Amino acid sequence: MEEIKEASLPIEDNIPSEEPIIELNKVAMEYYMQTEKIDNMKEFFIRLVKGKIKKMKKRILEEITFSVRKGESIGIIGHNGAGKSTILKLITGIIKPTAGTVKVHGSVAPLLNLGAGFDYEATARENIFLNGAIIGYTQKEIKSKFASIVEFAELENYVDVPLKNFSSGMVARLGFAIAIDVEPDILLVDEILSVGDENFRQKCSQKIEELQKRGVTFIIVSHNMSQVKKLCQRAIWIENGKIVEAGDSKEICDKYQEYSKNKQ
Amino acid sequence: MNIFKSPKFSAFKAKAKEVYIKQKRELIKNKNIVVQLVKRGIKLQYRNSAIGVLWTILNPLLNMFVMYLVFGTIFKYNDDSTYLLYLLCGNIIFNTMRAATTQSLPILVYNRGLLTKNKISYNVFPLSCNLSAIVNFLFSFIALLAVMLFVSIKTPVFGPAIFMTILMLPALFLFNYGMSLILSALYVFFRDVMHFYNVFLTLWMYLTPIFYKLQNLGESWKVLVIRVVMKLNPMAHFVEYFRDIVYRIKLGTVAEASVYSGLGTLYLWGIAFALLGTAIFELTKKNFIFSI
Repeated sequence: MEEIKEASLPIEDNIPSEEPIIELNKVAMEYYMQTEKIDNMKEFFIRLVKGKIKKMKKRILEEITFSVRKGESIGIIGHNGAGKSTILKLITGIIKPTAGTVKVHGSVAPLLNLGAGFDYEATARENIFLNGAIIGYTQKEIKSKFASIVEFAELENYVDVPLKNFSSGMVARLGFAIAIDVEPDILLVDEILSVGDENFRQKCSQKIEELQKRGVTFIIVSHNMSQVKKLCQRAIWIENGKIVEAGDSKEICDKYQEYSKNKQ
Repeated sequence: MNIFKSPKFSAFKAKAKEVYIKQKRELIKNKNIVVQLVKRGIKLQYRNSAIGVLWTILNPLLNMFVMYLVFGTIFKYNDDSTYLLYLLCGNIIFNTMRAATTQSLPILVYNRGLLTKNKISYNVFPLSCNLSAIVNFLFSFIALLAVMLFVSIKTPVFGPAIFMTILMLPALFLFNYGMSLILSALYVFFRDVMHFYNVFLTLWMYLTPIFYKLQNLGESWKVLVIRVVMKLNPMAHFVEYFRDIVYRIKLGTVAEASVYSGLGTLYLWGIAFALLGTAIFELTKKNFIFSI
């Protein structure tokens, strides 16, 4: 087994665009899953005595190798449960690979999915500050970005309303506004673009294109093929934890759609 | 062969240093998160209540009056003019521990939304609960000063030893934090810890001299057993020490020298639990993500 290295911390140096910003090398991910989830002690001890704690080794990813250059946008496609979100979690550093290495040279904004870091009892204002801190900003920095976040999310009149009273579209807007306003090196987008009304979706796409021009690296997980074709140069198709094919996004998306059609 | 020079020891030392540096870096990185969480915790606690943060001052006072009513007047434990202070000191310390640990216990699971989507150190959550508890302790201290003023009308209780509270707080914090780490880690894997701990807290409260006094219990063999239990109960040490520095030294019922040795005992408990908690937390945390 190869040595597992920790994803490196954000570094300040300028990396030439030819250099990969994300490198995954022969990454495998597996974990032991109890066949039935036991979360109370009685069950645990009864089974322990009977010797019945069956552990199932579940392989989520196998031999995943790819790299992303700075400023590139990559789409990850595949059916539900293929391992797409796990790849994003590995890049964020929430989980560590069982084997292989994940190297990330830059700051990553976690935009894994909707309202990822929200507390629904707290107000929009409190959530902006908490989320900013989670992404790694000081209170002062968040204060300076506060107005533009609220403006982009179109929530000027709801700043001090608890999130539990928000509609799902409003929550999505707030999440997107926070994530794009922190200007990270790498933005991970997981199915977030399929929510909100048409107006806001267009605004999001525009903002993504604007950030792409500024050199932000994108990894977009989506089931919306036209979106992937539009926003990404390359696409990676994953099925059952393995890369089926990677390459030009239009080509890969078409092949995937063909495959999905035949499968039905 | 000198074990301090063996390669195993130096490997251990390197590992320990690595863990330390990592811990420190994570703490600095997550300082902002902790500040936000503590703010949020204190704000949310009293949202939609008419008098808000005033409850943190009022709460220990009301608790004290209830106990005074029950144990002071009905059971007649009230043996001198400082019994109000006796109750309040016990209450404040025990409730600080109770608040810190019961809030920390389910905190990782409650914040699964944050933890499964973002890279955050797990220990910022129990840490923020414990800091909130200390902030609440400081509010309760205002209530304590008020009661001390009231008691001083009959018996002067103000003395310089009360400043020792500053030295005692870190020990209490370490103890609470250690307990919180153990409980929150266990809760991830076993959800019945919460029910068990609630019952355990009741037992713990009765085994801590909060409303009764040890010296009034007599000398039967049962009481001797209780005395041994008290020695092993860290909360008994904390509660008794707090009373010593708040008013008993001034009254002359305890020797001044005991203040220094007492502080040592508290730090022993605090550091022991903080280390134990950190060890358990660090060893189990890689599996948290799959169980929360």
